Amino acid sequence: MQEFFELARKILAEQLSIDVELITMETTFEDIEADSIDIVEMIMALEDIYDIEFPEDDLEDYINMGDLIKDLYAYLQQVSK
Amino acid sequence: MRIAIDVMGGDYAPTEIIAGAVKWVQHSDDKLLLVGREEIIKDELQAYNYVQERIEIIPASQVVEMNESPATAMRKKKDASIFVATRLIKESQADAVVSCGSTGAQMAAALFILGRLENIDRPPIVAAIPNHEGSYSLFVDVGANVDCKAQQLLQFARLGKAYASILMDLDNPRIALVNNGEEEGKGNSLTIETYQLLKENQDLNFVGNIEGRDLFSGKTDVMVCDGFTGNILLKSLEGLALFAAQSCLQELGKVPEFLAKFDYTQVGGAPLLGIDGVSIVCHGSSKREAVFNGIKLAVECLEKEMVKRQKLALGQTL
Repeated sequence: MQEFFELARKILAEQLSIDVELITMETTFEDIEADSIDIVEMIMALEDIYDIEFPEDDLEDYINMGDLIKDLYAYLQQVSK
Repeated sequence: MRIAIDVMGGDYAPTEIIAGAVKWVQHSDDKLLLVGREEIIKDELQAYNYVQERIEIIPASQVVEMNESPATAMRKKKDASIFVATRLIKESQADAVVSCGSTGAQMAAALFILGRLENIDRPPIVAAIPNHEGSYSLFVDVGANVDCKAQQLLQFARLGKAYASILMDLDNPRIALVNNGEEEGKGNSLTIETYQLLKENQDLNFVGNIEGRDLFSGKTDVMVCDGFTGNILLKSLEGLALFAAQSCLQELGKVPEFLAKFDYTQVGGAPLLGIDGVSIVCHGSSKREAVFNGIKLAVECLEKEMVKRQKLALGQTL
């Protein structure tokens, strides 16, 4: 999962023009001023890379990066089997 | 021209949206693609006489409601009328899109389907308001982005500059920051930071802060603010103009001509800037006249090559 997280945070950091180190699994989206549009953009970039479509969850339910990444990674594992 | 109309978005959708679209078809040679629930559109169209070939129905089974999160809707409602209508541009079936529905959804559609221009984070909406100099001043952003960063306001200034050259033939428009005082140190943390950015960027003719009372003064050509502030200001102006018109009608028996300049139905809509396509945002409360004028604005933006000229103004290669 670490590799997946590294990729996701690199994408998000580039989108937000912030240092990648500012994004950890514990970082809340509020901390880095990322809104739902930023999150969708990151998810769509990951979908392009992995050539899959993640489930269409309510993004407002995610408060921090870790919870979102765990769910996305779990889905990725599920479809990879 | 081929214009995609999101007929499901807006307080008076689909009846008034379709009425405005049919009126445009009767007035021009353009083709309109009406996007929404097929049966409803067919029923509504039965009330009109028009050249059949000039209206095509594009089915879309879903609608983004005003209270929905645009980002979630973007993922959950792929067959919503605004997303289907915007995809028609991407697929080269339409040249522009017009919608009276959720502004957030329209912005998300523009961002994710059409894409942004280089170095632009979020598309703002631009509106032109009349001024004492007999010209217009541009207001950017009037509602697309309620929470903004200073860098985004700098981008809005650049897009406003580009649009001023398109709409008013101004090469070096005066740019001001909407604030609660003229002095440099005034404002909240966002405007204080933005002030410094605008001042440092020599490509912009930044003339400082502008207060609410000077919006019509003509002291500036482009007024920059976040979408939260801009939307409240614009709607306050419209409300004040309506109040003035009603008061004049009651007390003088007529409405002075100048007040018509503030009638949003005559403007129709406002374009989203900074995206790779023409997307016209109309009032949620638009009726047929406003829809007609919104389509007219879309055609004008295409005729003036708005996207190409924005790219050139931003120093991008075509």
